[in-house]
Amino acid sequence: MSVRMGRNLGRSWHSLAILAILFFNLFPIIWIALTAFKNDRYMFTSDLAFPPTLSNFTTIFSPPLNFGPLVFNSVVVAVGTILIAIPVALTAAYVFSRHTFIGSTALLVWILSTQFIPGIVVAIPYFNLFRSINLLDTKTGLIIVELSAVVPYAIWMIKGFIDGLPREVEEAARIDGCSELGIVRHITLPLAVPGIAVATVFSLVATWNDFMFPLILTHQNAETLQIGLMSTVSATGIQWNWMSATGLVIMVPIFILSYLIRNYFVQGLTMGAVK
Amino acid sequence: MALKHERTLAVALPNRPARERTARRQRNIARIILLAPAIIVVLATTTYPLISAALVSLRDWNLTYSPNPQAWVGLRNYSNALQDTSFINAIEVTLEFTVVSVALSMVLALAMALVLYKPGRANVLTRSVLILPFAVSAALKGYSWRFMLDPGYGVYSKMIGFLFPPAQGYLWFTQKSWSLVFLAMSEVWGWAPLMALMFIGGLSAISPEIFEAARVDGASAWTVFVHIMLPLLRPILFVAMLLKIIFSLKVFDQIVTMTGGGPGDSTQTLNYYVYQTAFRDLNMGYASALAIVLVIVLSLFSFVYVRIVIGKAE
Repeated sequence: MSVRMGRNLGRSWHSLAILAILFFNLFPIIWIALTAFKNDRYMFTSDLAFPPTLSNFTTIFSPPLNFGPLVFNSVVVAVGTILIAIPVALTAAYVFSRHTFIGSTALLVWILSTQFIPGIVVAIPYFNLFRSINLLDTKTGLIIVELSAVVPYAIWMIKGFIDGLPREVEEAARIDGCSELGIVRHITLPLAVPGIAVATVFSLVATWNDFMFPLILTHQNAETLQIGLMSTVSATGIQWNWMSATGLVIMVPIFILSYLIRNYFVQGLTMGAVK
Repeated sequence: MALKHERTLAVALPNRPARERTARRQRNIARIILLAPAIIVVLATTTYPLISAALVSLRDWNLTYSPNPQAWVGLRNYSNALQDTSFINAIEVTLEFTVVSVALSMVLALAMALVLYKPGRANVLTRSVLILPFAVSAALKGYSWRFMLDPGYGVYSKMIGFLFPPAQGYLWFTQKSWSLVFLAMSEVWGWAPLMALMFIGGLSAISPEIFEAARVDGASAWTVFVHIMLPLLRPILFVAMLLKIIFSLKVFDQIVTMTGGGPGDSTQTLNYYVYQTAFRDLNMGYASALAIVLVIVLSLFSFVYVRIVIGKAE
C-alpha cells in the first residue's frame, strides 16, 4: 500500500516536473505568438482571451516598416550562403574523408579552429574593406562574411557523414576509370544527401538567425529581418505587438527546419563531440 | 581481395609503374582542385580578417580622422587596454556573465535530463520541444525576455510579483546583478534544453542493470546520482560546459536587444565593448587590439574543444 502511494506520489511529482519543463521551454514562444495577434489595447495586458487581429502583420509588411524586402534579403542571404558553402564544403569533405596526405590533419585542425573565431574579428576588417570597395550594405557582402561561420562547420559535418559511408563503390568506380570529380558527383553526392541536408539546415538556421553581421554591415538596402526587429521601436518605446509579429515570422520557418533534423540536433551542434 | 586483384593486374601490365605514376599525379591534381575552393573561402573569410585585425591592432587608426590606418604604434593599443577601466570592466562582466550562465544552464539541463531520460510517452513528447528555444534567434530572445520582464506589463514580472509580492513592479533592468542574471536567463533558456538533450543521450546509454544493482544494494536516489550518473556523464558534462563557455564568452546579440550594455556599463561584455569601440567611437586600431584579446581568450577553450572533436572522429 505504502509502496503504491509512494509510486503515485512519485508519478505526480514527475507530472509536475514535466509541466514545469514545458512551461519553461514553451512559454516565451507562446507569449510571442499570442502578442503577435494582439491589438495595441491588449498588447500591455496579460489576458489570454482577446479579440485576435492580423493588423500587426499588415503593419509590418506595409510602409513605413515595409518588412517584405527584409524577408527577401534574409532569404537571399541564407540561400546564397548555402549555395556557395555546401558544394565547396562537400568536395573538401570528400578529400578529407578519403585521402590522407602530408599536412591533411593540420589543415583540418586549422579549418575546424576557424569555427571559433568570434564574428566581431571578421566584421571589423570586412567593414573597412567593404567601405573601400562599395560592398557595404549589399547582400553580396553579407553572403561573403556569413561564409566565415558556415563553411568550416559544413566541411566538418559532411566529412563526418562521408566517413560513415562504405568505400567499396568508390574503389570500384576508380578501377573503372572514373575521375575523382566524377566520383564525388556521381557516387559520394547521392549517398551523402542526408549529411548534406543536415549541414544545409544548420547553415540556413545560423545565417537566418545571425544578427551581428547585418547589424554592422548593412544599414538600409541589405537589412535582414533580424534587424527589422530593431525597427519596431517607436518614439514611445517598442511596439511589442509588431515586434512579436516580426518574431513569429522569424521563428516559424526555423522551427519547421529544426523539426526536420531534430534527431541530428545534438550531434550537429556539438560537431559530433556528443552523438 | 583487392590487393590480390591488383597483383594480377601488375603481372598482366608490364608498364605498371608509369601508369601508376600518372594515376597518382592525376589524383593529386584532383585533390587540389577539390580542396582549393574550400581553402580559398576559409582563408578569405577567417584567416584574412584575423591577420588584418592583428596588423591593425598595432596601428593608430581612428576612422573619424582618417580613412586609412595611420602610424605603427607597436603594442601601445594593448598597453592602453590595461589602463582602460571600461576594458577591465568588460572583462569582469564577461566572466561574471559566463559563470552565471554556465552554472545556471548546467544545473537546469541536468534537472531536465533527470526528469526526462527514462522512456515513456510523456517524456519522449516533452523531449521533442527541447530543440525549440535554441532555434529562436538570439536577438529575438533578448527582445522577448525584455518584454516579459517589463516592470509595468511584462508577464514574467507579473508572475514574479504574484509568487513574491515584494518584487511587484521591480525595475529589474535598473540593477546590475539582476540585469546580468536575466541576460543570462535569456541565453540559458536556449542552451539548457539543448544541453539537457545531450545529457539525456548520455543517461539513456547507461545500462539499466547498473541502476538495478544499485537499487538492490539499497543505494538512495542521491547516491545513484552522485556515484553512478555524474561519473558516467562526465565526458558529456565536460563537452557541454566547454561549448557553453565558448558561446558565453562571445555573447553579443542579447546585449544589444535586451540591455544595451546598461544600466551604465554593467552588462557591457567584451564582445559588445569591442563593437562599441569600433562602430560608435570608430577607433579601429584599439578595437582590433581588443578583438584580438577576445580571440586569445576564446582560443584557450576552442583548442581543447577542437582536440576533443578531432579525437572523437578518429
